Amino acid sequence: MNMLQVLNEKAGLVFPAISILTGLALANSIDPYLAYVATSWVIFGLLGLSLDIVWGRGGFLSLAQTAFYGLGGYFGSVAAINLSFVFGSSVIWSLSVGMISGALIAGALGLIIFYARMGPLQSTILSYTFTLLLWSVSQSFKIRLGDAVIGGDNGMSGIPGIVLAGGTEALDPKGALTFTILVAGAAYFVTYKVMTGTFGRVIDCVRLDIQKTELLGYDVRRYQVLNFAFSGGIAGLAGALFGAWSNYLNPSIFSVQEALLVPIYVLVGGLGTLAGPFVGAIAIGGLSFWLGGGAVGGQTTLILGIVLVLLVLFLKNGVLGALRQGMARLLPDPNEASRNAGAVSIETGDLEGILQAAEEKEGPAKALSSAGLLKKFGGVVPVNDVTLSFEPGKPHSLIGPNGAGKSSFLKTCVGLYKPDGGHVTLGGEPITNATIYSRVHTGMGVKNQKPQVFSELKVRDNLWIAAFSRLRDKRQAHDVATTILDMLGLTEQADVTASALSHGQQQWLDIGMVLCLAPRVVLLDEPAAGMTNEETRELAKLVRILARFTTVIVVEHDMEFVRTLQGHVTVLHQGEVFADGDIDQLRADERVLDIYLGRREHV
Amino acid sequence: MEFDYLATVLLSSLASASILLIATIGLAVVFGLMGVINLAHGEFLMIGAYTALTATQAGVPFLLSIPIAVAVTMAIGAVIEILVINRLYGRIFDTMLATWGISIAFYQLAVLIFGTVTPGIGMPQYSIKIGDYNLAGYSLLMIFVAALMGSFVYLLMTRTVYGMKARASIQEPAMARAIGIESSRVNTMTFSLGCGLAGFAGAILLPIVPATPSMGFAFVIKAFLTVVVAGPVTLTGSAIAAIGLGGGASITASFLTSVAGDVFFFLITAVLLWLFPLGITAGWRRKM
Repeated sequence: MNMLQVLNEKAGLVFPAISILTGLALANSIDPYLAYVATSWVIFGLLGLSLDIVWGRGGFLSLAQTAFYGLGGYFGSVAAINLSFVFGSSVIWSLSVGMISGALIAGALGLIIFYARMGPLQSTILSYTFTLLLWSVSQSFKIRLGDAVIGGDNGMSGIPGIVLAGGTEALDPKGALTFTILVAGAAYFVTYKVMTGTFGRVIDCVRLDIQKTELLGYDVRRYQVLNFAFSGGIAGLAGALFGAWSNYLNPSIFSVQEALLVPIYVLVGGLGTLAGPFVGAIAIGGLSFWLGGGAVGGQTTLILGIVLVLLVLFLKNGVLGALRQGMARLLPDPNEASRNAGAVSIETGDLEGILQAAEEKEGPAKALSSAGLLKKFGGVVPVNDVTLSFEPGKPHSLIGPNGAGKSSFLKTCVGLYKPDGGHVTLGGEPITNATIYSRVHTGMGVKNQKPQVFSELKVRDNLWIAAFSRLRDKRQAHDVATTILDMLGLTEQADVTASALSHGQQQWLDIGMVLCLAPRVVLLDEPAAGMTNEETRELAKLVRILARFTTVIVVEHDMEFVRTLQGHVTVLHQGEVFADGDIDQLRADERVLDIYLGRREHV
Repeated sequence: MEFDYLATVLLSSLASASILLIATIGLAVVFGLMGVINLAHGEFLMIGAYTALTATQAGVPFLLSIPIAVAVTMAIGAVIEILVINRLYGRIFDTMLATWGISIAFYQLAVLIFGTVTPGIGMPQYSIKIGDYNLAGYSLLMIFVAALMGSFVYLLMTRTVYGMKARASIQEPAMARAIGIESSRVNTMTFSLGCGLAGFAGAILLPIVPATPSMGFAFVIKAFLTVVVAGPVTLTGSAIAAIGLGGGASITASFLTSVAGDVFFFLITAVLLWLFPLGITAGWRRKM
């Protein structure tokens, strides 16, 4: 690895550290008024960071960040006004109370949004409404809390400035800027650490493919709520800093104009870059300062509105995104290896070793059975009173003409569809109403028809995140991922981005992720779809070996593939079990031919 | 409680629900037929109101100023669609951000042109007596206007060639193009129609809701929630949601305070979205 690659890898640490040092040096040399104004830019950058966490990383456009910011400001300032005499410090109280209240309120809103499984549009609108509701309620909300007076649209004044310890004297503008830079820098590095760690990786997966993340056994809604609460905490911290900076708060903090600025900072700096919002806030703040601040006051909103439209239309990656792309051009292409990948060839010995190790660790294969399972969509009944039992030993195939209910049956067993009646058990345990991720922990491994891989993650990280879900240990997860990588023959492509792989290779990667879970029962929905003949042969080999160690259920169209599996076959027709046996028996069955060819009375 | 008091509360609540529905229909049409949430919807309402106000101040009779307002907002809507929305189909959040930018720019333009306070228009005040209580006649008229507007849009969408083209373009865009529907022109038309409906709402509500630059914000909160609660069957759903939410909030407000009414609105919305995360009509089989 050369210098440039190291720099690229550590860009999120090196450049912010340099910027912070530069900022600290400047803070002591610039004009006090500029220092005073610049403090607010840093605070807005922190607010932008909170949106980047939830939008750029979590994938949810929240328009409630200024609500957490404002509430954090109000709560933090009330605490500072009343409690500053304890320890003689205002910021101990305002920052901690602001951060905690922001996190709690965001967490509560997140519980509603994520646990109700609202659509993305509903979530965003609800968050926007939350801000607007606060704006209208706070206009007339008057209360006295100790020495703090919240006076509706008169606002709350007398908020102490930044008093560090043992005194009543607040920091001067230069000191306040230094302090704000240090707090924002600390918040950034904590966020960077969290977002590059395992939590951040899971959050990335949730953004890229929430269903797959849950199918890997992660409690995705918990992660979403925690991430939202984290972002709310950062916003609350920024709000408390803002209160201390301006010594005064009023309902305009909840206003639409205020809320509008936050996505602008994020988009200017670069979505998902974490450092970008600071760049955006300083750029926009500096620009309006240079334009003369108050002089264009009236038109600032107008200009910003148009800027937002232009940003959305023309500059999606922002300043840091563009810089990162420029830097990537100087580096060797990490996806080079995807082009010289050969055909996948399963190492039988490796696979058996993996499956044996999994059996030793996770116990014997588990049977999956359904009793009277029922699923309706309006008048259509794709799963009608299906009672089936799948035992380990031989692969079990589900076949049937289009619309027979094969995939629906599978999805109902997995928990992607909620059954309207009947029961599902896994290894004797009832799982009919269990969440998907807890089924995965009980030993269920699922591969859907389309390859589901995390497109922006490296091949190795895709496998790692699957293994980590089961093992909860970085080292062990790395070892399992490496073994599976070897078995699939994808070692060369370990550092390739998953989206650069061919369709067939993505299918293998997806299967590899399922194997990382060491499932005790494996459900495969049309795994051979889109594979070449050669790949299909390898897949049949894999499924046959897999079935010796676990229960395997395959939904498949490809009759030749089903025949080579040499397993048990069930025919579904119009949502019901139609016939049962091995493939040669069924091929001789006139009734099965009837429904496949659309002949006579069974159609 | 006396009967006439109850009747008054119910009628005035129905009137406020109708006002909400009038303000919402344009948004519902654009969302239902294009899958686009127009955050600038409230500003189109505001433009409609200011156009009608300016026209009446210039001596045009109020009834004539309404079609003028519709024409102006439709034209602006068409321009916005061609310049901005057109490039963002399928990117729902980008569309929201862009229309948000437009919304704030329009708001600021209105402040610059008209200032923050504007006079209302003088309208003869009719009132209707129920027992000891007086009800404003114009508000009650809004119940009929809402019903007329709803029927107009329903018939337009189900009985005309344009309506069928518009519905085809959103359900199967590729297929619609394959059979020769110019979906981009249909979309321009639909967006423009949605903006025109907002302009109509702004103008017709002018006697009760005076034109101010920020009037859009006040209306859109509830209009957005109504559409979001309504879900995929936008027109029927919006009507039900407007009556339920708007009426409920108004009843709450008449017994408690107007802030309590707003809080009721928000909480019921949150509960409904909790129960029906994709809207109350998510399981319905009808389309409009």
